[in-house]
Amino acid sequence: MMEELMNILQELRPDVDFETETSLVTGGILDSFDIVSLVGELNDAFDIEIKPNHLVPANFNSAKAILALVEKLQDE
Amino acid sequence: MNYTSLEFLLFLAVSILAYFLFPVKKYRWTILLAASYFFYLFAGWRLVGFLLFTTLSTYGTGLWLDHTAKKSKAIIKEKKTEWSREEKKKFKDRVKVRKRLIMAAALVVNFGILSFLKYWNFLAGSFNALFSFGQGSGLPILHLLLPLGISFYTFQSMGYVIDVYREEVPAERNPAKLALFVSFFPQIIQGPISLYSQLSHQLIEPHDFSFTRMQHGLELILWGFFKKVVIADRAVIAIQAVTPDYKEFGGTTLLFILLLYALQLYADFSGGIDISRGVAQILGIDLVDNFRRPYFSTSINDYWRRWHITLGGWLKNYLFYPLAMSECFLGISRRMKETRLGKTAAGSHIAKVLPTSVASLIVFLVVGIWHGANWKYVAFGLWNGGIIMLSTLLKPLFDWTLAKLHIRASSFGFRLFQMLRTFLIVLVGYVFDIAPGFRGGMDMMGRMLTDQNFAAGWTEIRALGLAKADYLLLILGTLVLFTVSLLQERLAQKGQGEETLRSRLDKKPMVLRWGLQFAGIMAVLVLGVWGPGYDPADFVYMQF
Repeated sequence: MMEELMNILQELRPDVDFETETSLVTGGILDSFDIVSLVGELNDAFDIEIKPNHLVPANFNSAKAILALVEKLQDE
Repeated sequence: MNYTSLEFLLFLAVSILAYFLFPVKKYRWTILLAASYFFYLFAGWRLVGFLLFTTLSTYGTGLWLDHTAKKSKAIIKEKKTEWSREEKKKFKDRVKVRKRLIMAAALVVNFGILSFLKYWNFLAGSFNALFSFGQGSGLPILHLLLPLGISFYTFQSMGYVIDVYREEVPAERNPAKLALFVSFFPQIIQGPISLYSQLSHQLIEPHDFSFTRMQHGLELILWGFFKKVVIADRAVIAIQAVTPDYKEFGGTTLLFILLLYALQLYADFSGGIDISRGVAQILGIDLVDNFRRPYFSTSINDYWRRWHITLGGWLKNYLFYPLAMSECFLGISRRMKETRLGKTAAGSHIAKVLPTSVASLIVFLVVGIWHGANWKYVAFGLWNGGIIMLSTLLKPLFDWTLAKLHIRASSFGFRLFQMLRTFLIVLVGYVFDIAPGFRGGMDMMGRMLTDQNFAAGWTEIRALGLAKADYLLLILGTLVLFTVSLLQERLAQKGQGEETLRSRLDKKPMVLRWGLQFAGIMAVLVLGVWGPGYDPADFVYMQF
């Protein structure tokens, strides 16, 4: 699943090193436009529904955190 | 009670003393509540009912939402073994609809009051004009008074309601504590619009007096005063001499006034926010900043992340994301991707950014309307939103052009070009601010482009009520503002956490520190626009 997520992230922003970056939102790397595009991709790819209340930096600051959110929403 | 009046300073001194001398630390917040209501009632007691209504409806809605969520969770727990997955989901959906209705009722009523008071005459006038109703027929034009700070406290309260709905914060059980969150005096008249999770606990926690906080707070207040009374209140004299009869002036003067307005608006609004934050800082409370050197922005998107940050943050959290992430918007994007066009590089890009672009256009329409009930503000919003929409949709084209022209996007020269270009776009939006209406704005722009005569302009500019010395002071004031902004920008780029110019100043020799503070006080007292019979100019954003 991580591989699929990495593909989505790399396609969204090829200029970012998602393997190591841990402040994607708090560091201002992903802006609100990126986030919405990402949400659309994640919803489709993993059959989940990310809501505005999930948009806290802790859920989007790193690839690992995004994966954790996806897994949590898949379990619900 | 204007921030730059003697009454306010007196009120402030008494409130701060009462707060820190109040013996029961646990209840120090009640002093803040009393001070906030005194401040509000002093401005006009007749309209306090609106503030109370918003407070009580917000309080009740919060409790109701909280109760609904807790009760449903208890039921789910109780029926854990009895219900199937589908039954549980069905129940959850029903609760969601119920909670949404409760939240919507509070939003409709509170934003309804704000809209009615702010926009009724605009809508009625437009309606009557559209259907050619004469005077005395059609929809009535009412004499409506706008309660002080209604936009700010309504947005802040409704943010709290949405946060409780989303279960991001618990509902406040004590109505007096919620009343303080809604009415906190340093921020009620012009923001910043704070999040409940960021502000509320700070208001309630007891704070001890801190000399460093007081010093930093006073320095920030002094800086706010400098921006307001030395720069903004001086610039506004020339602006007000031109804008009511702008047709009497040539394009050079109008262009000059437009630049002066950019200076005045920033100095006025950010100066007011500095005073608010400085006051709160003395009381031990950190209010979020509303500005981050907006005229250094490299794109309009960047500008709106640096200008009126808390309004932008509110709209992003509570309007932009829900719209852009709604099934409707994401569905359009998905369907576009499946078409033949969507399979091409350009089509796939458009499909990806279309929901965000349309949502941002809607948000900027709201930003425009928030600024006032007039078609010129609709144009202001559409101009800003339209530029953002176009720049997002055409980004690949811009990147391609840069690569073809071998321009390095991070080079100083290109960044400077971006800043100037952004400032120019911002200025076009400002034309609608100073113009009497939409047509006036277009006419003004036409004059600026076609009627340039430096000699005639100079003669006009010298007769706008400001002496040569005033212009010199404006230039000097702007240079000080620019230098401080540049230093702040460099500090921010170094990314040294919470460090500010004031905390850096602490480490400098006392002579320099005291010298700067003394120079600041003297500048405000001697160079500020006070004069005999001085009537302090209201802060621009107080009218919202």
